[in-house]
Amino acid sequence: MISCHDITFRYPGAEAPLFDGLDVTIDKPGFHALFGPSGVGKTTLAKIISGDIDNFSGQVEAIGGMRCLYTYNRERLPGWSSVGRHLEKTTPPGRQPLRDEFIHHFGLTQLMGMRYSQLSMGQCNRVNLLRYLLQDFSILIMDESLANVDEPTRQAILYKIKSIFPEAGFLYISHNVVEVARFCDQIVVFRGAHQSPQTCRISGQDHREDRPLDKTALERSMLEIMNAA
Amino acid sequence: MLHRRVFQFFIVYLLGIGLLFGIKLALNLSDYVIPGPIGVWHTGQAEFSRYMSDVLDTFAVAVVGQVLSILMALGVGVAGRRATWFGSFIKVAAYNVQAYPIVAIAPILFILLGDGFLTRLFIAAMICYFPLLLSVIGIMSEPVVDIEHFYRVTGRMRWQLEVKIRAFENLHKLTTVISGSATLAMAGTIVAEFIAANAGIGYSIRIALYQSDLSKILVALFIIGITLSLYQGILELLGAVLKKAWAAG
Repeated sequence: MISCHDITFRYPGAEAPLFDGLDVTIDKPGFHALFGPSGVGKTTLAKIISGDIDNFSGQVEAIGGMRCLYTYNRERLPGWSSVGRHLEKTTPPGRQPLRDEFIHHFGLTQLMGMRYSQLSMGQCNRVNLLRYLLQDFSILIMDESLANVDEPTRQAILYKIKSIFPEAGFLYISHNVVEVARFCDQIVVFRGAHQSPQTCRISGQDHREDRPLDKTALERSMLEIMNAA
Repeated sequence: MLHRRVFQFFIVYLLGIGLLFGIKLALNLSDYVIPGPIGVWHTGQAEFSRYMSDVLDTFAVAVVGQVLSILMALGVGVAGRRATWFGSFIKVAAYNVQAYPIVAIAPILFILLGDGFLTRLFIAAMICYFPLLLSVIGIMSEPVVDIEHFYRVTGRMRWQLEVKIRAFENLHKLTTVISGSATLAMAGTIVAEFIAANAGIGYSIRIALYQSDLSKILVALFIIGITLSLYQGILELLGAVLKKAWAAG
């Protein structure tokens, strides 16, 4: 689904490259993760995949030229419009029922008349993620998109996304090892620029609402992730 | 906002005039060099109406010049906001031209256009245009990434929306710049009148200068200052009202 081959990238002014011949492959749709400590290049790789960064060497292929969107947790809505009005204007035709369903499931019903500046950080992130989920995409990269959202709501949102978009690809960037091990299928663990290989892939539990959770397997996934990092 | 501006002007004016009277007292200068408070008061009573009319004449030219400058600066600033060849050309041209003192070419304008309304307007507009342009270009060429990203990646970004986002996010800066440019427009008009025009408060100050009448100049400065303070206060108030109305949808 996404293939990054021999990626080399250095930020202007940096002494060493962040990526040196990096290879990352996500071979099927589903809910996947980029995991690792801060500063190892998760966001940078996300931006390379989405096309926001283009001054790198190597190849990035999204199979079939799929539309890849990147969203991050500091995004804002314009201040002149209420949340509800903004969502109305940015919802593609025919997706109003999906929008209303998301508004309900994301716990945002009471916020539609409010301005973005009046929302808490968790509410801001939910509204932002919601508007992206309504767009056309085959791959959505969620860079800490559920930061500051409480645990039960986050869980409900992730279950909902997985049930509504079974054919789409998601790359979830998070520092929460339990969440990543529980909800994600393939977890690309970043190990830093000076380690070889720079990344390794761990299988997560890809848990869904209608399946029982194997807690032993979850603990094993968490341990593998921590050891890999 | 409005009362603060007027209050600030009174403080500055009284400090200035107090300093003059202090110098007069300290150096024991005659009323011919620096008139006393009573002399200034009498001149004020005698000349207030005429000077007020002159200031309003100058003010009208300055406002028209400023409005023209704002429109030009917004137009060119919006066109020059992009990192394209045209955008870079406009930025470089603006930076270079603004480095040249516009007042220095005023005599050419008076020779070509005469000493009437048009020359005063042109000089006022040119003097406040370039600082405005640089500010507008600076604001318009700085992306508000956290808001614009969504529109850009979903293919919704249009130039009108880009300008709207940047203007809204920098409305306070824009209001301050526009309010500040009022002083430049007024200064430009007065300088033009001072050089060669046949009307306005700059022209009256020039006559007072030839008469070595500091009282008249002090009265003129008072009326200019109070008019400008009121105007700037009103501009700031309008900016705040605009932002509130815009944010309220």
